[in-house]
Amino acid sequence: MGCSQEGEVEAKKEEKIKLGREKASIASYCAAAVSEEHDSLAPSFARVPLGMVFATQIRFWGSQAAPEQSTSDGLTVDGILASNWTILDENEGDWKSHATAVAQSIHLIKRRLQWRKLIVRLNMLSAELNKPDLWDDPVHAGKISREHGSLQGKMKEVNALEQELLEHIDMIKLAREENDEDLESESVKALLNMRRNSKEKELEALLAGEQDLYSCYIEVQAGAGGTESMDWAAMVMQMYKSWAQRRGYKVTVVEEMPGEIAGIKRATIKVDGDYAFGYAKAEVGVHRLVRISPFDSNKRRHTSFAAVAVTPILGDASAHVQINESDLRIERFRSGGPGGQHANTTESAVRIVHIPTGITATCQNERSQHQNKASAMAVLQSRLDQLEMARQAHLNAQHTQSLTDITWGSQIRSYVLHPYRMVKDLRTNYEVSDPDSVLEGDLDGFILSYLSACLDKDEDGA
Amino acid sequence: MKLSLGSLYRPSRFPLLLKSYPISRSRRSFCVSSLSSPETSLKPQIPLFLRPPIYSTTLSDLRKWHDWAESLASSVGSTFEKSDNGPDSSLLCRELKWLLEDAVEDHTLVSQMGVENDRRVRMRAHVDELYNLWKQRIQERRPFQYVVGCEHWRDLVLSVQEGVLIPRPETERIVDFVSDVVSKDQELKRGVWADLGTGSGALGIGISRILGSEGRVIATDLSRVAIAVASYNVHRYGLKDIIEIREGSWFEPLKGLEGKLAGLVSNPPYIPSKDISGLQAEVGRHEPRVALDGGVDGMDALLHLCDGAALMLKPGGFFAFETNGEQHCRALVDYMENNKSGSFCNFEIIPDFAGIERFVTGFHGKAI
Repeated sequence: MGCSQEGEVEAKKEEKIKLGREKASIASYCAAAVSEEHDSLAPSFARVPLGMVFATQIRFWGSQAAPEQSTSDGLTVDGILASNWTILDENEGDWKSHATAVAQSIHLIKRRLQWRKLIVRLNMLSAELNKPDLWDDPVHAGKISREHGSLQGKMKEVNALEQELLEHIDMIKLAREENDEDLESESVKALLNMRRNSKEKELEALLAGEQDLYSCYIEVQAGAGGTESMDWAAMVMQMYKSWAQRRGYKVTVVEEMPGEIAGIKRATIKVDGDYAFGYAKAEVGVHRLVRISPFDSNKRRHTSFAAVAVTPILGDASAHVQINESDLRIERFRSGGPGGQHANTTESAVRIVHIPTGITATCQNERSQHQNKASAMAVLQSRLDQLEMARQAHLNAQHTQSLTDITWGSQIRSYVLHPYRMVKDLRTNYEVSDPDSVLEGDLDGFILSYLSACLDKDEDGA
Repeated sequence: MKLSLGSLYRPSRFPLLLKSYPISRSRRSFCVSSLSSPETSLKPQIPLFLRPPIYSTTLSDLRKWHDWAESLASSVGSTFEKSDNGPDSSLLCRELKWLLEDAVEDHTLVSQMGVENDRRVRMRAHVDELYNLWKQRIQERRPFQYVVGCEHWRDLVLSVQEGVLIPRPETERIVDFVSDVVSKDQELKRGVWADLGTGSGALGIGISRILGSEGRVIATDLSRVAIAVASYNVHRYGLKDIIEIREGSWFEPLKGLEGKLAGLVSNPPYIPSKDISGLQAEVGRHEPRVALDGGVDGMDALLHLCDGAALMLKPGGFFAFETNGEQHCRALVDYMENNKSGSFCNFEIIPDFAGIERFVTGFHGKAI
C-alpha cells in the first residue's frame, strides 16, 4: 500500500532536489570563483566540494572564507537558535522544535570541536601544505597532511549536518506552499531522525582530540602512606580494569609491583580498543580515599592517595619518536646468583631505561624475556612519544591541552567511605552517593561530565 | 644435550643419563603420568597447550583445584628462595596462572571461576592430572616448563621434556647477535650455520628465522631425546627446509664442512663439576646433567668448541658461545689469542641483562 505512495513522494523529492542542485551548482561555481581570489589565505576551502548546497547566499568571513549556509529564504543555523523556538518533546511533531534541537546540537558540537580554533588551524595547515618544499621532510609532511585530513573531515561533517538541517526546512516550507502533506510529514520525520542521531554526534565530538581514538596504558601508583595507600592503589587499578571490561576493551596487565603486605606499589595495564585514550585521559590525576582503614587495629579514619597516569599508544608508526639502541640500558628486573644454566626460573622481567630522559619501562607478565622486552619497549615508546607531544604542545600554543599533560597532575577526585558515602569529582563537582558502584567501574558519568565541562566551558570555541 | 667426551647414549628406564649420576635422587615416579612418553619410542611429548581439549570439568571443581594449588604455592613462602635461590610464592602463583591458561581451552572462562557455578569448561588435561602436576611442581620441584611441556623463548613456544635442557632467557641474546651480524653481511646470511648441542632446538630455530629462506642451519645433538624434541619443534615452526637436525657429538656430524661454516653458535655445558651438587633443585634434580656439567673448570666443551671453530669456520665466519661468566669469557679469549693466534679476531665479551659477562663472540681471521 504505502509502497507506491512512498515512491511518489520520493519522486517528487528527487525532482525538487534536482532543482536545488542546479541552483547549487551555480552557487558553488560562484564560491569557487570567489575563493580563487582568497586562495593564498584559504586554499583548502576552494577544494571543499560544496556538493548539493541548497543555499543561494554565501558570505565570506575575511580570510576564513567559511560559507555560511542558509535556506532559500535566508534562515541560518544561528538564525534558528536566535528564534528561540520552544523545544518540545520528540513525540510532538513540531518541525521548529526538532530544528531547534538539531541546531543546538550543532552549536554544541562546534563548541566541542573548538570551531574557531579549528578553522584557524586548518588554514595554517593548508598554507603549510602548499609550500613547495613540504615533502623535503616526509615525516613532517605526513603529519601535516594527516592532521589536515582529519580536521577537514570534521569540518565537512559539521557542514553536512548544517546543510541537511537547512534542506529539510526548505523542503518543509516548499511542501507547505504546495500543500504536499506527504512530503511535509516525510521531511519532519527526517528532521526527527536527525534530532535523535545528533545526540550521538555530540558525544563523538567530545572525543575529537588527535589521540583520542587510540588505545592507551593506564598506570596507577600508590601515594605515601604504606600499606593503606597500596591497598587503595590496587582498588583504583581494579576500578579501571572493570571499567575497561564493561566498555568492551581488552585489558592486559603489563607490570605489577605488589606491596609487601597488601595492594600494589605500582601497576600498568594496557587498554585496547577505540577511544580508550579519549575516555581514560579524563582520569589523569590524584585520587583520594577516606575510610576506616582495615589495616588499622584502632579503627581510625585514614586518607590515602593514588596517582593515575594515562598514555596513548600511537597507532601510526611514523609518528613515533626515534629511539637509539645505544641510549638504552636493559636490565633484568630481579637477578642474583650466577644465572645462565645454574638457574631455572620463569621470571624474565625486563626493565628498560632510556638514559637521556631517565624514563623507564618495565614488563614482567609475558612468558619470555624477549616478549617482556618487546612489551617494555612499547611502553617506553609511548612514554617518549607522549613526552615529545607535550614538548611540541608547548611550542605550539594553539594545541596546548592540559589533558595530555604527562605529569601526574593534581587531585581530581575524592572517594569518601566514612563518615558518609560519596564520590565527588573536584573538577566538575559531579558526585555520586554510591562509592561501590564507582569502584566497580561505573565511571562513565564522571568521565563524560568532565570531558563536556572541559570543552563546553570554552566560550570562544564555537 | 651435549657431550664432548664421546660417551655413549645409554638407553635407560628414564630418558637420559641421569641414571649414571648419583645426584639423581628421585626415581621420578611422576613420569608415569600421561605427560611422559615411553622412552623406547622416543616420540616427543605434546606440550599441554597443544593437546586436544577432550576433558571437561565444572568451573567450581576447577576453582577447588586452583584454591588448593594456590595455598600450596603460598605455603612455600621464600623457603625455596632461601635454600637454593628457587622460586618464591609470587612466582609460583604466576606459574599457576600460566598452567591454567595452558590447560583450559577458553581462557575467558577462567575469570568467571570466582562465581561458584556448574558451567563446564573444556580442558586439555583431566583435573586429577592437574593435582598431580602441581604436586610435582611444589613437592618434587619439577621445573614448570617440564610440567606444561613447553618454554616460551623469544617469540617461540618450544616443546621441552625431561632429558632436554630448558632454554634459558640469557641464551635469547645469541640470536640478537646473529641478527646484528647478518644484517651487516649478506654473505653470512646466505651461508651455512651450525648450532652445536642444540637441545630443544632453540638456538637453531631462532637463527633459522633470522636467516630466512636463503639460510641453512645444521643443529646437532648427542641425545636421541634432544633429537626427537628439536625435530618436533622444527616441524612445528615449518622450518624443515632451512634447518637440519643431525645426531652426534659436537663437530662429528659436520664432517666435510671444514672451512665452510658461515657461523657457529653454542650454549654448551659450562658449570664446573663441583658446583653441580649445589644447584637449584629444579636444575640439579631434573635437568640432564650432560647438558650442564662442563668438567672440572666448566671449560671442557668450550675449549673443544674453540678448537673446532678454528677448523670449521670459513674466513670471516662468526661465532658466539655462552659461558659461565666473567672468568670463562676471559679465559676463552686468552685461549683463542694465545693458542689459536691469528685464527680469530674482533673478540667481544658481552654481558647478559643481569650484567654478568656471559657471551664471547668473534670472527674467524681472514688468514688461516
